[in-house]
Amino acid sequence: MKKRLFAIPSLLAAGFLPAETQALTIKPTFDDGNAKSLFDIFKLDHVYTLAGHRSHSSHRSHSSHRSHRSSTGGYSYRAPVYRAPAPAYSAPIYRAPAPAPTYQPPATAPAPAPLKVLPGNAQRFTEIVREVQFAMMAFGYYVGELDGVLGPDMRVALSKMQGDYGLKVTGTITPETLTALRIAAQ
Amino acid sequence: MIPLRIKVDANADEPFVVRLRSFEGSVAGDIPIALDARDVVLERVSDAAEYRGEGGCIRVHGIDPSQIDGDVLLVNPHRGSADRLVRASSPHNTFLVTERCDQLCVMCSQPPKAHHVDLFAHFEAAALLAPEGATIGISGGEPTLYKEELLNFLVQTMGKRTDLRFHILTNGQHFDELDMPMMRSLERERIVWGVPLYCRSPEVHDEIVGKQGAHARLVETLGFLCRAGAQIELRTVLMKRNAPGLTALARFITSTLPFIQTWAIMQLESIGYARQNWQRLFHDSSAEFDGVGRALDLVRSRGIEAQLYNFPLCTVPASYRHLAPPTISDWKRAYLDECRDCTIKDGCGGFFEWHPKKHGYAKLGAQS
Repeated sequence: MKKRLFAIPSLLAAGFLPAETQALTIKPTFDDGNAKSLFDIFKLDHVYTLAGHRSHSSHRSHSSHRSHRSSTGGYSYRAPVYRAPAPAYSAPIYRAPAPAPTYQPPATAPAPAPLKVLPGNAQRFTEIVREVQFAMMAFGYYVGELDGVLGPDMRVALSKMQGDYGLKVTGTITPETLTALRIAAQ
Repeated sequence: MIPLRIKVDANADEPFVVRLRSFEGSVAGDIPIALDARDVVLERVSDAAEYRGEGGCIRVHGIDPSQIDGDVLLVNPHRGSADRLVRASSPHNTFLVTERCDQLCVMCSQPPKAHHVDLFAHFEAAALLAPEGATIGISGGEPTLYKEELLNFLVQTMGKRTDLRFHILTNGQHFDELDMPMMRSLERERIVWGVPLYCRSPEVHDEIVGKQGAHARLVETLGFLCRAGAQIELRTVLMKRNAPGLTALARFITSTLPFIQTWAIMQLESIGYARQNWQRLFHDSSAEFDGVGRALDLVRSRGIEAQLYNFPLCTVPASYRHLAPPTISDWKRAYLDECRDCTIKDGCGGFFEWHPKKHGYAKLGAQS
């Protein structure tokens, strides 16, 4: 019988770590056929849709007392001819890093979608990032501050961990990564 | 200081507007909340952050995606940079519609340039992508030099996005009666017009703004704005030249301009011409607050709201501090070494990033 290895994050997080806190590269082993992967087993029910529930910060209270609006430095743009609607819309082309990627401004401006979720530094997001930092630290991928701030160190750590565990390497906190680290957005 | 311009790679012929979306920390199936055609979604981060949207890809350098999620960028592909027209996490977003101006104020923080590039199409696209309930500032130069474009922009964006509000700075030199129907059609409570008036005396005002007859034209415009039902924030930058006339100005406001929404007495911002002429212009309100206090008392006793903008809280006597909101925009706010242990720092707007080290305030510190 094949030996299966389980990485149990709660144990790791509780301090049951190998002597050397290096990257634990325990890859899930699969039975041929339809056996679930570790990540499927550990997958959680995310009851909370993070992006949909962030609080809106009201900007209104600031609107009536502002400082100078000037000195933003201005913009430098050449003859700003706005591109007329292109007849045929070509599929987005992704190019590998070397040259600048191609962007073709959309021809149509359909119903504008106001941004309902306030992103980035919302408090809940910071908490999620801190949880991810803690889990990454437990796995030996991250040694920085548990400050809830995503920075270059965290990006590198995320990519490394995703690569080691056969996840899609994005350097971002994907749903897959949250599940792998057993963090529920709730 | 929060960067307003960031490095972006993109291959396109003309400048374009995109909105950055990250969706980090969210769960699968949550991502397509009605993506706009101009949205680009974060795909991966390595040495740069890569975003993909309907129109293709862009790469952002030098700033973490978590800090710019929801931002609206105006990308200049030829320069490889982008201006953060709307920062989603900030209440201080301003569109600079032109750098031209017909006045030349002695303390101008952004000296005008002759050159003008019309970016209104981009501003409209950006405004439509702003976070719900945002207030957008409009500044310059002098925005009403392009009043047709400006008014059209307002009609369009306010019609399509009924939650947006605007705060527009203008010198009030360019409106005429023909603009009345359009001005009346704009929803009054969603726009605040910030208009500078420096002195009751036309001579002093005209001298400060560097334009003969500006005062007379301005007073006429204030009447026009009143009849248009506009909300007016009257702005008076405090300087050596006009500080002695502050009480007279307050009396003029109560007698002639009682329809204004707010009177803002503002401390000097040390940049542009004000920086060059700091010694000649700066009025130390911490040493001589009496005139300011009397002016505030007078208009407030007549039911007109008055506030102090850009005054460090400790330079204002305690009984007037509730009138000094933290007005210095997040991206240009700084505190001095003296502020480290301050007990009232939370409610204080601090100093402009570029405030001189010899700050000029005789009294500083919450105890004073």
